Amino acid sequence: MQVVREHREDLIGRVRLLAGTVTGLLVLIASGFWFVQIAQGDYYRELAENNRLRKLPIIAPRGLIFDRYGRLLVENLPSYNLMIDRSRSVNRERSLAFAAAVLGRPVGDLHDLLERYRVVPVFKPVLLAENMSLAEVARFGVEALEYPEFEVEVQQTRLYRHREQTAHVIGYIGEATPDEIERSAGAVAPGDVTGKKGIEKRYDPVLRGKDGERVVVVDSRGELLREYGRVPSQPGKDLTLTLDLELQQEAASWLDGPEKVGAIIVMDPRNGEVLALVSSPSFNANLFTHRLQEDDWQALLDAPNNPLQNRAMQNAYSPGSTFKMVMATAGLSEHLIDENFRVSCSGSTVIYNHSFRCWRKEGHGSVSVRQALTRSCDVFFYHLGERLGIERIARYARLFGLGAPTGIDIPGEKEGLVPDNTWSLKTRHQRWYAGETISVAIGQGPMLLTPLQMAAMTAVVANGGYRVTPHIVGNLPYPPPRAAGLDPHALAIVRQGLWGVVNDPSGTAYTAVHLPGFDIAGKTGSVQVIAQKVRTKAETLPFKYRDHGWFTSFAPESDPRLVVSVFCEHGGSGHNAAPIAKALYLKYLTIEANNSSHAVAR
Amino acid sequence: MPSLAEEKPALRHLSSIDGGLVIAVLLLSAIGLATVHSASSEMTVDYLPRQALWFGIGVLLLMAAMSIDYHVLLDFSIVLYGFSLVLLVLVLVAGIAHGGAAHWARIGPWQFQPSEFAKLATILVLARYLSGLNRRVLDLQQILVAVAIVVVPMVLVLVEPDLGSSMMFAPILLGMLLVAGVRWRLLLIAAVAAVVLAAGMWSFGMKSYQRQRVLTFLSPETDPLGAGYQVRQSKIAVGSGEMTGKGYMQGTQSQLRFLPVRHTDFILSVLAEEWGFLGVLTVLGLYALYVASAARIAMRARDRAGILLVTGLLSVLCFHVLYNSSMVVGFVPITGIPLPFLSYGGSFTLVNFVGTGTMLGVDLRRYVNR
Repeated sequence: MQVVREHREDLIGRVRLLAGTVTGLLVLIASGFWFVQIAQGDYYRELAENNRLRKLPIIAPRGLIFDRYGRLLVENLPSYNLMIDRSRSVNRERSLAFAAAVLGRPVGDLHDLLERYRVVPVFKPVLLAENMSLAEVARFGVEALEYPEFEVEVQQTRLYRHREQTAHVIGYIGEATPDEIERSAGAVAPGDVTGKKGIEKRYDPVLRGKDGERVVVVDSRGELLREYGRVPSQPGKDLTLTLDLELQQEAASWLDGPEKVGAIIVMDPRNGEVLALVSSPSFNANLFTHRLQEDDWQALLDAPNNPLQNRAMQNAYSPGSTFKMVMATAGLSEHLIDENFRVSCSGSTVIYNHSFRCWRKEGHGSVSVRQALTRSCDVFFYHLGERLGIERIARYARLFGLGAPTGIDIPGEKEGLVPDNTWSLKTRHQRWYAGETISVAIGQGPMLLTPLQMAAMTAVVANGGYRVTPHIVGNLPYPPPRAAGLDPHALAIVRQGLWGVVNDPSGTAYTAVHLPGFDIAGKTGSVQVIAQKVRTKAETLPFKYRDHGWFTSFAPESDPRLVVSVFCEHGGSGHNAAPIAKALYLKYLTIEANNSSHAVAR
Repeated sequence: MPSLAEEKPALRHLSSIDGGLVIAVLLLSAIGLATVHSASSEMTVDYLPRQALWFGIGVLLLMAAMSIDYHVLLDFSIVLYGFSLVLLVLVLVAGIAHGGAAHWARIGPWQFQPSEFAKLATILVLARYLSGLNRRVLDLQQILVAVAIVVVPMVLVLVEPDLGSSMMFAPILLGMLLVAGVRWRLLLIAAVAAVVLAAGMWSFGMKSYQRQRVLTFLSPETDPLGAGYQVRQSKIAVGSGEMTGKGYMQGTQSQLRFLPVRHTDFILSVLAEEWGFLGVLTVLGLYALYVASAARIAMRARDRAGILLVTGLLSVLCFHVLYNSSMVVGFVPITGIPLPFLSYGGSFTLVNFVGTGTMLGVDLRRYVNR
């Protein structure tokens, strides 16, 4: 080994010097503490005991939320909380008896509450009651001299005017968790409220503003004497949504009630503006604005069908027959079929040595692609699926935006699933089985999409091949509609087929949706939840075994400005979803008529 | 040729691990956890479980750092240093893009401060550079290279802007140069240069809020809601603790929210209020034990690189301790410098454990021929 002269002793000496210096400084600092704590301890103790300064936050009002016509959806209300400073209570029994009388609550309740605060230092005011009425607040004000231990704390709370109807879009706020505080990098402090879901979460930095604070001088009884200094708050900014409250309420009313599970999206296919987005069951967002009662929370968690889940974008389902619009576009674009190509449907067909049945036992006879869409012929699409193969089907599904988030400005969107061979190898460790392609061709099998993706996919058909980004907040720079790379001619033929669904007497939604004078085009879909040998009437099956029903549509056919997608979980079939869409178009036409008559009146 | 047995030193010498250092770290961490709990009891968020998690991860990282031969770290130091500079630039660019200060880098759900990482990388590079200079005292050119190594990340952190973290690079340079050997005359010149530099910073390099902090330090009454308020409230908390304190979780200053950021930068105020002068003495004593143990490790390290590496790590830690505790009693202006092992904080806690682990690693390899 090579021996180097390292001047070791020099270095060691200097390390010793360094450590000595540090130790010396530590002693110096310790003597500083001695000076403050021992020599001046009495002085500071007195200051602490008579700390006349109180730091009070000036809460920045959170931004309000309006619908597209400026109707108020969310506002701020003051809420009055009763606090008690136990150290200032001369006679605890007497204090609680007084509070109980004012609040109209049993004394025992308040005793139990205080018992829970036993570990909290006695000089810290604790919460005794929330959301008091003004009359109650006044009583405590009048008796302030007699009962100085009570303080009324004003807190801002959020009022969601339309409760369940807008809950899944707007979301709610709540006390920030440590995670949220850390992620906000300083914007959110412990004790602050922050958006937990929906628009409240996504646009929290815009809505929240910045709290200010003021330091006030108080006397020994805690009464405010004067202000010592203040930093004003900066109010949050208001948001205007693309939502149309009337349409939203109409949509919500159709999914209101037991066994009404599902989602509705109303969207402008030209720009992605969402006019209504409903998920049912829903929840009362106002429950979250107070420090939530545990039983309320538990009730929501235990409620059937998970009301906290936004089905419009957080659940993915099989598309059923609605997927046929993607299939038809793919077949036409790839020139595997043309508009005159026909398939003869006898009620079933044999592919890969396996018999596949059409939903209509008697068969459809000879059908073209338009008729196959109009009458939802399964056999036509079985054969088309066999020709296309899973890879091409998957490619076109992705061109329509499936298998990827739509980019809506509500957090938590699911991306669904577009199955192909790569997916099969990765998750199932086996090659794609060609027979499955035939199921996928009519929207069954592992293909999954959210109701929101359904609306976005329908928009692509409606607007002639452009992908739009669905959004809820208006006037923000969203990505402009971009060409999906689909053949416009193929889409035109598909639109005609979908027009027939509603307007041709043989169409699957003719009876339910046809609206003379307004050209609606759409597609029904049913998704089997359990395999049924014999088709049973939905009503006779237990709810959870009934088929899911889809109806997705756009109108007017010549120049679409509205997409309506309805999903009824266990709704039996598309026939239950279709009338809801019709009602929404009617509502839309009424609103439009009102708007134009107002415009004329002006 | 060394035998195979000699190539696996860590396990063989595990019994020779430095007890003083380990005891100091464990006791300080335990005190830190308890105080963080008390400090956050009025915050709706108890930081104790998260700090406990950081502590747990820290212990694992300490063992990992200990088991790596520091010569390997030194070999990779330039790569680490380059990587940390890239990170700092990225954070800077991202910060500009977001129109504000951003000291945090994000990897998935994980955030950390690249400046903490840069500190370690800088110490490694500097230790490697200085250990190669086999001289009694350094010449001017060598000193300038050392200065350059430290100043580059320091400036990147400063313009983020994060004055507190950038200050952390100064003790690295000072401590390691001092031990590597500089002439007294040069130190004197450097001191003058530092004063000139500080004046220049004041005029050109500082944001207005940073200048404001220094001003309020000099005359606290000018800014009742800002730093002056904090210093005053902190001194009241510390002073009113007197000899034995007000009792755990009973500090009126901290429990009544008079103290700002009391779970991080002002953790010592909370401790001083609740445990009194005796509590402060205990903590400062434990730091003294840490310093003495680390210095002992440096002095018996087997080579120049080991001595310098431990010196660099120790210098940063000492600066944190000295500055934070002085700040709490109002000796120096307030800036965001937390207290090692006591303050709540993810990146910071981990870096301290990694640093301690590295010191122990140097110690374990003191007999071994490379």
